[in-house]
Amino acid sequence: MSSVVLKNVVKQFGSVAAVDNLSIEIQDKEFAVLVGSSGCGKTTALRMIAGLETVSSGQIYIGDTLVNDLAPKDRDIAMVFQNYALYPHMNVRDNMGFGLKIRQLTKEEIDTRVEEAADILGIRDLLDRKPKELSGGQRQRVAVGRAIVRKPKVFLFDEPLSNLDAKLRVAMRAEISKLHRRLEATIIYVTHDQVEAMTMADRIFIMNKGVLQQTGVPLEVYAHPVNRFVAGFIGSPGMNFIDVTLIVENGVMFIDAGDFRLKVPQAFRADLEAYVGRPVVLGVRPEDIAAHDPATSPGGDGNVLKACADVVETLGSELFVYLTSGTHSLVARMAVPERLLQVGQALEVILKLSKIHIFDKETSRTIV
Amino acid sequence: MQNKKVLSNVLFYVMVVAIALIVLFPFLWMLSSSFKTQVDIISWPPKFFFAPTLQNYQKVFGEQDFLKYFMNSTIIGVFSVGLSLLLGLPAAYTIARFTQTRLAVFILLARLMPGISFLMPWYIVFSRLNLMDSYVALILSHMLIALPIVVWIMSTYFATIPREMEESAMVDGATRQYAFLKIILPLSGPGIITATTLSFIFSWNNFMFSQVLSMEKTKTLPIAVYNFVSYAEVDWGGVMAAAVAIMAPAIVLTMIFQKYVVKGLTMGAVKG
Repeated sequence: MSSVVLKNVVKQFGSVAAVDNLSIEIQDKEFAVLVGSSGCGKTTALRMIAGLETVSSGQIYIGDTLVNDLAPKDRDIAMVFQNYALYPHMNVRDNMGFGLKIRQLTKEEIDTRVEEAADILGIRDLLDRKPKELSGGQRQRVAVGRAIVRKPKVFLFDEPLSNLDAKLRVAMRAEISKLHRRLEATIIYVTHDQVEAMTMADRIFIMNKGVLQQTGVPLEVYAHPVNRFVAGFIGSPGMNFIDVTLIVENGVMFIDAGDFRLKVPQAFRADLEAYVGRPVVLGVRPEDIAAHDPATSPGGDGNVLKACADVVETLGSELFVYLTSGTHSLVARMAVPERLLQVGQALEVILKLSKIHIFDKETSRTIV
Repeated sequence: MQNKKVLSNVLFYVMVVAIALIVLFPFLWMLSSSFKTQVDIISWPPKFFFAPTLQNYQKVFGEQDFLKYFMNSTIIGVFSVGLSLLLGLPAAYTIARFTQTRLAVFILLARLMPGISFLMPWYIVFSRLNLMDSYVALILSHMLIALPIVVWIMSTYFATIPREMEESAMVDGATRQYAFLKIILPLSGPGIITATTLSFIFSWNNFMFSQVLSMEKTKTLPIAVYNFVSYAEVDWGGVMAAAVAIMAPAIVLTMIFQKYVVKGLTMGAVKG
């Protein structure tokens, strides 16, 4: 096992920088997830670590070795591809043993290691089948198996679950996490699915347009996004954003959205003072919007909105309620009430002001 | 409804038969003439019913040294195709993977130029090198046709194989060359068979290059047919019988390999 370090790595495709000055340090045995929307450079970064793409500038270290000029075969890595890339003319056993055969291990040793890996993944009975005789989930396991028999320094996963159906994806997610603990391996995992990133990662690396936005453990990134992009990308449904201005009246600071006003909590005032009168963006997570019942919760400290429920999505354990308040649209995530919300129903919602985020509209950076 | 379907079926088969007749008529004419006497062949109106004779075939295989020409054609065909595969497969792979379009167009250009324009320089070069009437000269000249066929068929074929195939092998520890040999080539069977069959048939049927560059020693089958044409007369029966004998291997080859050509081997490689 090994650490992976990228120092100021750049990848140019013509005049476009697919990866722009990327510096990351992945610890030994860490499960690192590179996440971002398509075209953000995450796969290119992974391919550069694998050696399948050249580095325009910067350095990549695996362990203590500078690998910029090493061929993929000399980097001691294993990669699981999005489309699995199983060799169609070989059965599962030969597919998994291919890398070991190149390294000239004995037949017995190859068999032992292949069967060991097959046992871990529960594909022992598939060893003599050809890839075309396998289901999507089974092919996925074989692809993972082909990686783990090699016992490489680093595992690279390139969106390995995106071709699976939703249910299988959830199951494989847990399995890969389990596998990580069992192998104590360094894993770099690329995905566009923030749920995968949140659930599997030790640390998340969020990228956008080739630039690393934020690094951190999943909950920290969720609670303290550094900018509007990260705030919107992580979390489902996404954070609500409303263009607002900050105003001060009679010594009290308000967030003015036109249709409604919210009182700024005292704790945020110092940070926001400089932005009074300037356009900022209010960010509220769906779970920080709750139905307001005047009878049970007094609230009313300048944080109650009148709204109308446009769409109600019932997930069983919770509701996603799409609201309109004046000219603003919001999504709220609520517990299932005893009496279900009706579409078109007017209701009052309460914002948890201590959990709001304010972003600078020009730079998109988080202010509070 | 039922009638309409029957009608469209009938129409379909009428058209199929019509097209088949047009395509097959020269072949059938050749086949029937090869069993006719010279008198029957040139009689007017054409005779569709006649007493078949084997004398033309006896002439082809008896009086002419047909086996020798057969061997010559085979040697030249096998070596020109073999060498073309040896050079063309890696070239096609490079064109497909590293998008060498200019190189590809350059190779196609050699194919598009009329073959006859090469003949004069070749004649001079090969005579000076004392290579006239040698296998080397004929194999090289036939490669002018075989190599572009291999490169063009195979570069499009390689392009259909997902890149991840060899990338995966390279991450697994293979060099690109090893991945090409062990992963890409075994997946390219249908493409290689198509390219081989087509280029072999082109070489087998080639008349012009062989006519100029070969003499008695390396004479190929299509030239041997010409033996039946003399100043005074054309032995049509002999020409037809020889032509049938030449076509037979090409037809058999095509019939054997057409099912491989159609079969897709990459199924199951990637999701889909």
